[in-house]
Amino acid sequence: MNDNPVNEANEVKEPTKAQKVAETIAEHFPNAQVEVRVNKWGRERVWVRIPREDYKALMRFIKELDGEAHYSIGIEQDLGEELGFLSHLAIHYDDAPAVSLIVDVRVPKDDPVIPDISDVFPIATQYEREAAEMVGIVFEGIPDRRRLFLPDDFPEGIYPLRLDDKGIPEEMVHNAGHPYLIKKGGKRA
Amino acid sequence: MTKVEYWVKIPFGPIHPGLEEPEKFILTLDGERIVDVDVKLGYNLRGIQWIAMRRNYIQIMYLAERICGICSFSHNHTYTRAVEEAAGIEVPERAEYIRVIIGELERIHSHLLNLGVLAHDIGYDTVLHLTWLAREKVMDTLEAVAGNRVNYSMVTIGGVRRDIDEKRRRIILDMIKYYKEVFPQIEDIFLHDPTIEARFRDCAVISRRVAMEQGAVGPTGRGSGIRDDARWSEKLGVYPDLGIKPVMPQDVTGERPRGDVFDRMAVRIGELWQSLELIEHALDQMPDGKIKAFPKDNVLFAKLRLLVDGEGIGRYEAPRGELVHYVRGKKGSDKPLRWKPREPTFPNLFAVAEGVKGDQVADFVVAVASIDPCLSCTDRVAVVEDGKKRVLTEKDLLKASIKKTREINPAIKGDPTPVGFGCSR
Repeated sequence: MNDNPVNEANEVKEPTKAQKVAETIAEHFPNAQVEVRVNKWGRERVWVRIPREDYKALMRFIKELDGEAHYSIGIEQDLGEELGFLSHLAIHYDDAPAVSLIVDVRVPKDDPVIPDISDVFPIATQYEREAAEMVGIVFEGIPDRRRLFLPDDFPEGIYPLRLDDKGIPEEMVHNAGHPYLIKKGGKRA
Repeated sequence: MTKVEYWVKIPFGPIHPGLEEPEKFILTLDGERIVDVDVKLGYNLRGIQWIAMRRNYIQIMYLAERICGICSFSHNHTYTRAVEEAAGIEVPERAEYIRVIIGELERIHSHLLNLGVLAHDIGYDTVLHLTWLAREKVMDTLEAVAGNRVNYSMVTIGGVRRDIDEKRRRIILDMIKYYKEVFPQIEDIFLHDPTIEARFRDCAVISRRVAMEQGAVGPTGRGSGIRDDARWSEKLGVYPDLGIKPVMPQDVTGERPRGDVFDRMAVRIGELWQSLELIEHALDQMPDGKIKAFPKDNVLFAKLRLLVDGEGIGRYEAPRGELVHYVRGKKGSDKPLRWKPREPTFPNLFAVAEGVKGDQVADFVVAVASIDPCLSCTDRVAVVEDGKKRVLTEKDLLKASIKKTREINPAIKGDPTPVGFGCSR
């Protein structure tokens, strides 16, 4: 710890790894909104919002930036008007802390098409299969279009995690909800 | 005479004596050799994310804990981290140390469990009994510290629920003393026994490239030479102060990583020692102070409503690898708009499915066990009758079983009505 507060204020701060990555991405992709957020215990994360036209190019760029980039999760979500697909990647993890990078791509509900990135990160196929069955995002060029978790006899056109009328209808719901409410019939959630 | 070669497709699972949990693999075999593996998931889909759509932040803590019995602390902890990040809540330092202690106790119990399962899968049951006997000690310690053998409920948003006082501290120190005597035996068997080496060496090799492509994490990734540990690369909590670093196979065996079952097992052995060390250091360095940011759950509930605005990511190294939770919330709402967990088994399963190609079918069970798969119990059965598929619920199965019992023994007495809640009503 530095005892002298004057020095601390005047100190020229070296940009951290996360800031450098954020700068590089912002330089190459002017359409992207790049933000470095720091949480309460000082962990930096780079949040990138990217239009879908640049999505695949950005993923390729990340792979070039660090050939050992680790694709850790794809998160599908229903944002009301839009559908979102969020990916978390850990890059530059050869020394701690690694750069935690979150790529967010959003598409309108009437045209939910996102390019597939499984030729860049092969494991992404599985997350995309999950996203396709859970909220109904269509991945262009995905090598495997089968369902991943849902049973084969699950009705078409129903996406369990959608919040609108394409979600699970009331008639399909049996014995769900809080145990105390199940006693009263279980319909109310 | 021409030799006829043909490939056979066999389903492996979902219910199979070699696998503890329902997961189905469709193996394409050329004689005894595995040519292709297709993974079918979903036998255990309980719709937890769907249930979470109607639960508030505090209720989801309990739901997250029940995703899995073995890594219940990890799920709860990672979810809590994600909410804390989204809400900007700071955790007292003592609570961070207590989280480390419980997390490492859990890691010891999980790794001992997996080592036992591995031994059992090669038919070496003496070793299974040895490791699971040793595991009882950490389970008892967890019960004494947290009150439960599984689902400890130690973590809450903004701290931990229970303190580790002098009595509990002594129990943990007692456990460390016990394991310092027992671990050398376990290490000796697993690293130097010729039977184990013969079965585990060069079996189900996941090369570094495949592990990288399929995003393998945890002991599976490290066994293949990927130097990453989420506790270390995330600089999580007080782990940097305790001197965390990824355990690689070369630290344990002294050879370069080959990515086989043996290396994955060696990483787990190394992590057992590391966990003991971390617990010892944490008990030494633990400062005094409060253990919760908010004293009561109702205060926490009211605060979260106002504080959570935006997104949060939680990353933690569960016993099986990197665990990620994502939470998105909005100010004024008492429940998250989106919560998604990702189990470390998910990428590992696809990595091992690539890894076993070219191996013998007899090695398949041990290959799957080597990633320590973690799925759980299934909720319904599908029956094909006259070419039509019908789904039997728990109620139907119960009815059928009562009917059968009455057929066998018409004079049977007793009330067959189930007690308490079943899955179906």
